[in-house]
Formats: sequence, structure tokens, C-alpha cells
Amino acid sequence: MNTPDGKTPWKSLVRISWRSLWRNRRRTYITLSGISLGFALTVFFIGIGDGGHNNMIRNAVNMGDGHLTIQREGYLDAPMNHLFIAQGKQLEQQLLQAGIPGRVAPRIQLQVLASTSGNSIGAALTGIQPETDPKTNQLKKGLVTGEWLTTGDPQGVVVGARMAEKLKVKTGSKIVLMAGSEGGGTNTHLVRVRGVFRTGIEEYDSFVMISSLDMAQAFLVDEGANPAGRPVTRVAVFLDDESAMGLWKARLKALSLPAGLVVLDWQEMMPQLVSFVAFDNIGNYISLVFIFTMVAFGILNTIMMGVLERTREFGLLRALGMSPWALFTLVVMETFWLSLTALAIGWVLGGGLHAYFALWGLDMSAMYPGGMATSGTVMDSVIYSELSGARVGMLTGLILGITLLSGLYPAYRALRVTPLQALQT
Amino acid sequence: MNTQTTEASAQSFSQPMAGTKPLVVMEGVTKRYRQGDVMVEALRGVNLTLAEGEFSALVGPSGSGKTTLLNMIGALDKPTSGRVSLNGTDLTQLSGAKLSAFRLHQVGFVFQAYNLVPVLTALENVAFVMVLQGRPPKEIEQRAMHYLERVELADLAHRRPKAMSGGQQQRVAVARALAAEPRLVLADEPTANLDTHTAFDLLDLMHELNREEKMTFLFSTHDQRVLERASRVISLHDGKIEEG
Ligand SMILES: Nc1ncnc2c1ncn2[C@@H]1O[C@H](COP(=O)(O)OP(=O)(O)O)[C@@H](O)[C@H]1O
Ligand SMILES: [Mg+2]
Repeated sequence: MNTPDGKTPWKSLVRISWRSLWRNRRRTYITLSGISLGFALTVFFIGIGDGGHNNMIRNAVNMGDGHLTIQREGYLDAPMNHLFIAQGKQLEQQLLQAGIPGRVAPRIQLQVLASTSGNSIGAALTGIQPETDPKTNQLKKGLVTGEWLTTGDPQGVVVGARMAEKLKVKTGSKIVLMAGSEGGGTNTHLVRVRGVFRTGIEEYDSFVMISSLDMAQAFLVDEGANPAGRPVTRVAVFLDDESAMGLWKARLKALSLPAGLVVLDWQEMMPQLVSFVAFDNIGNYISLVFIFTMVAFGILNTIMMGVLERTREFGLLRALGMSPWALFTLVVMETFWLSLTALAIGWVLGGGLHAYFALWGLDMSAMYPGGMATSGTVMDSVIYSELSGARVGMLTGLILGITLLSGLYPAYRALRVTPLQALQT
Repeated sequence: MNTQTTEASAQSFSQPMAGTKPLVVMEGVTKRYRQGDVMVEALRGVNLTLAEGEFSALVGPSGSGKTTLLNMIGALDKPTSGRVSLNGTDLTQLSGAKLSAFRLHQVGFVFQAYNLVPVLTALENVAFVMVLQGRPPKEIEQRAMHYLERVELADLAHRRPKAMSGGQQQRVAVARALAAEPRLVLADEPTANLDTHTAFDLLDLMHELNREEKMTFLFSTHDQRVLERASRVISLHDGKIEEG
């Protein structure tokens, strides 16, 4: 940076660049408002987008199998009924002793054929602890008729509304459940409908049938399980703090779990949701690129005009002994101040929008009446803005990076001004 | 004033007052500019010697080559041919970066207009060249204030150029040039944009500084009125010197 022209006068450069920015106030204000408004909107969109995704993920985790799931290896690819965990009670105890901040829910998940005199359809029978399982919170709210299950109920099920329609059943109706066994035979149990729920999620309302662990366990016993071991097909782990997922995944893996068991996180359990979020983010990123292109050109234009109309002044600085590199730095600094100021205003505006919608939420019911169901989950009708530290860093870094890049060309132009250009009258 | 004793002076070799040390020596300096297809000969073989402590005026009509000549001495531009030396250094032998360093430490400039950095105050403008020279902040502050007082602008120290008159701006430029302790101050038509009264004031101030600080001044003008202030007059016509 230091050419024989003289010392790089950092303090003077800071002073000159900052003051030069405010020379054409009108132009700077226009650029600043453009950039900061664009940036604030980006913050808003990203905040609502992330809030919506996180909401869907939380709903999926809550209605699904938790943040972490422990099940038999291979069960994810081929969920066969004989792939159960024989010592369910023991595994549950082991997990409880690990001191996980959150909840541990033993579950039995089975593929069955549900038949009534009216129809036969495939169903996902899910045995849970009816009083304590997190699924209860979600589904009990959605009960449209009948009652919720009680622990130990050996025959009761609650079914989704669409399934009830297809099977032509109501509270009190009987359904015959049939499951294929490992040997190729079938096992059959009779259940009774205790209630009907509606979630608005097609996958749930059409296919899910909830029972107590005791009821579902009957099929595992048919497969040779010992009821005394309280067999299950998986244990779902719900963490109070979702950000601790990676930590607890590692910790659970480090426990000496029974052989043949794996610890999976929700991303591994629901790859389709991961793809959905990734795909949906593309939309956000496209608007990001659009806004940032605007930012780049806004800055390029403002700085370039400032440089072109100050050729004489730059020539004077050169004639007085300033080095070309100091001039280059001067223009880059100007760009930097412009971008920092825009960022500060942008963060105040965008942060305000974010804070407002993080607190009060954005009601999307007009856009998605009854919430939006997709990829086996649902997005609530009111979305709360969320911004992670990583997002804040990414947005800030991108703006700074783009502005500095757009300042390079004007700075290069300034670098090429000769002292003689100061003297041309 | 003109000593016509040597061979050189017969070929219009402009010489300083007798008995003083030469500070600037120009020998056979030519400068050609290309203007489209036409070559313009701005200087046609200039021989000139300036002594330390001189207060000289370079006069000539517009286009006679005054600015070009000052640029050669001020290391802002290089001659097409010939030799220019300042304080014993041959400027034609120096590269771009060395030229600017040379300029920074040896030459003070006062231009016709737009002399000051618009976003800096009078005091900051005076300090600027000293900052580039890398002087200690304390010294810069003292010298800057001293020279602002010297040009009677101490009370405007914190004004920006646009809040000063043309004459005041020129005086700030003079203060800046002197504060940096150059060997020589070059002033290219410093009075061109000033009314007669202000112009004389500025010249009187420069002359006073020339006498009290022993600072060498070379200023150009196309205004005959100011000639009486100069101790030496160098006339330029079509790129050639006719001293008288
Ligand atoms: N950069 C340049 N390019 C082309 N011609 C130039 C340039 N600078 C000066 N000239 C020409 O050189 C001649 C002398 O110019 P100049 O030194 O500016 O004269 P003065 O300062 O006495 O008015 C003029 O004819 C002018 O047009
Ligand atoms: Mg001129």
C-alpha cells in the first residue's frame, strides 16, 4: 500500500471518504433508502421463510418421530413388522437415565390392512402411550368425534377422518386389522373405533390409526416378541432445545445401545421434508439474488458517479503527493461506509420487521386457508419470523461482499487518475 | 536584470540574479502534445535557470506554454526532450513513483482554482501534504496553525472551502504549500480568478513570504498588472523564452 509517494494517510482517507459520501446528500439518501429497504425486505422474507420452515419442521417432528429416533437398522428402508426392539422397556430406561432434556416416547409402528364390511385399506397403526406421547397433543386437539385413548386399552383405536370415511366407520365401529408376518402368514386383531381426528394433513387423515402400546403390541407378540419385555418398533426422543440435536445424537450413539439399533435424526427420518425446505429456499434465494443485484448496481452507480465527477479532485490529491493506491483505498472506503450505513439502516428496519413478526406473527390464513399441508407436515396459519445467527451473518456478509466488489471498478478508475487531470481547466 | 555576458545568454539562456545558487536548471526543454492528428509544440527549446530565493513571474499569453513549463519543473510531467533538474536532481531520470515522492517533499503547488480538497477544512487542507509527508501529528498541527495565521486565516481554520472567498482559498493553498517546507513554490496563474485588489493582496503575501521565509517562488500570469510585484520576469511566447 505504501508507495514512495508518501505515507498512506489512513486518518485522512477515513475522513475524506466519509465526508465525500455526504457531499451529494440527495444521491446518497436515495441509494441508502433503496439498499436499506431492499435489505429490510430481504430480512423480512428470509425471517418469515425460515419461520415457516421451522414451523413445518417442528410440526413434523412433533407429529412424527421426534428429533431423534432409535429403531432397528434397516427399518427405515424396509419397515417390516418383525423388525421390532424386543426389550423396549429396557431401552426406554436407558434413555431416561441418560438425562435427555426432553421426552422419550416408546412407539410401535406397523403396516396393516384395515377392513370393514364397507372397505379395505392400508393403514399405519401407531401404538403409543396415550397419556404421555407428544403425538397426543397434536391429535387430541383434532378429535372430531368420540374420545381419546386410555393407557392399557387393548382394543381401542382413533382414526383419521378420511380413513373413517373410506372405511365407513364411526365411534364404536369395529375394524379388523391384518398384518403380514415374517413367515409369510398373517396375523389378525379386532379393534374398536374410540374416536375420529382431523389434522388437515392428507397423510395423517387418510392413513394413520392410533392405538395404545398394548393393542399394537399384540402384533409383535404374534411375531414372537415377549410381552414382558414391552417390545416396541422405535423410541422417539423429543428435545426441549432443538439446537441440541447434534449433541444428543452423538451422545445417544455413544451409549451402549443394544446391537442392531441406530440413532437417526429427523432429517434422516424425513428426507422428503429436507428436500421440500431446500426447494422452497430456492425461491428465497432468487429474491435474494434479485435484491442484491439491485444493491450492487445502486452502489456501483453512486460511487461511479462520485468518482467521475471528482476527477479533478483526485488529480489534485495525486498532484499533492497521494499515491494511486491511497486513492483506490479512498474509493473502496467510501463504498464500505455506504454499505455499512445501508446495513445499519437495513438492520434497524429489517430487524424491526423481524421483531414485530417474531412477536405477533404473520397471519397467512388468507394465503393458505386452513394451513398448508405438504411433505407429510403442516404449516400453521400464523407464522412467526425466525432469524438464526448464521442467517444474520450470511446476509450481512453478502451485502458487505457485494458492495466491496461493486466498489472495485470505480476505485480502479480513481487509481488511474493522473495529477495532470487536476490542472485541466 | 538580464546579464548578457555568456554564449548561452545570447541564445536566450535565461539566467538568475548574479551570485546566487541555481535551484532549477532547464536545458533545451521541448514538449510536444498530440492533439488528434496535429502535433502541438508547447515548449520549443527552453533554457532557464532559477536561483534559490527568487520571486519570479512567468508571463505570456494564453497558450504560450506557461502551465506546461511549470509542470516540467514541478515533476508533474516529463519533457519530450531536454533536461530539467531541481536542487541537483535530474527529474528526467526519475520514474513515476520517484517523481511523486520528489514532488511531495520538494515542490509546493498553488493552482489557478480548485486548489483545496472540498471536504476538508482550511486547517485540514493545510495539514494534508504534511500528513502525506509523514510528519508527527503534533508538528503538523502546530505548523498548519502557524501558516494559517501567517496568511491571516486562523479564524477560518474550521471552514470548508465552499464557505471561503476565492482569495481566501488561494491563501489557504499558499499556506499549505509553505507548511510542507518545499524547496520551491510553483503557482500557476494563482490570481487569475481574483479581482485586482485581492490579486495584489495575494501577490504581496507571497512576496512577503518569499522575503521572510527565503522561499523561492515561480508564478505564472498573463496579467501585465502584476508584473511590478515580481523581482524577475520571464516572458514566454509560443513556447520560447524572451526575458526582459
Ligand atoms: N495535454 C495536452 N494535450 C494537448 N495539447 C496540450 C496539452 N496541454 C497543453 N497543450 C497545448 O500546449 C500549448 C501550451 O499550453 P499551456 O502550457 O497550457 O499554455 P498556458 O498555460 O500558457 O495557457 C497550447 O497550445 C495547448 O493547447
Ligand atoms: Mg495555463
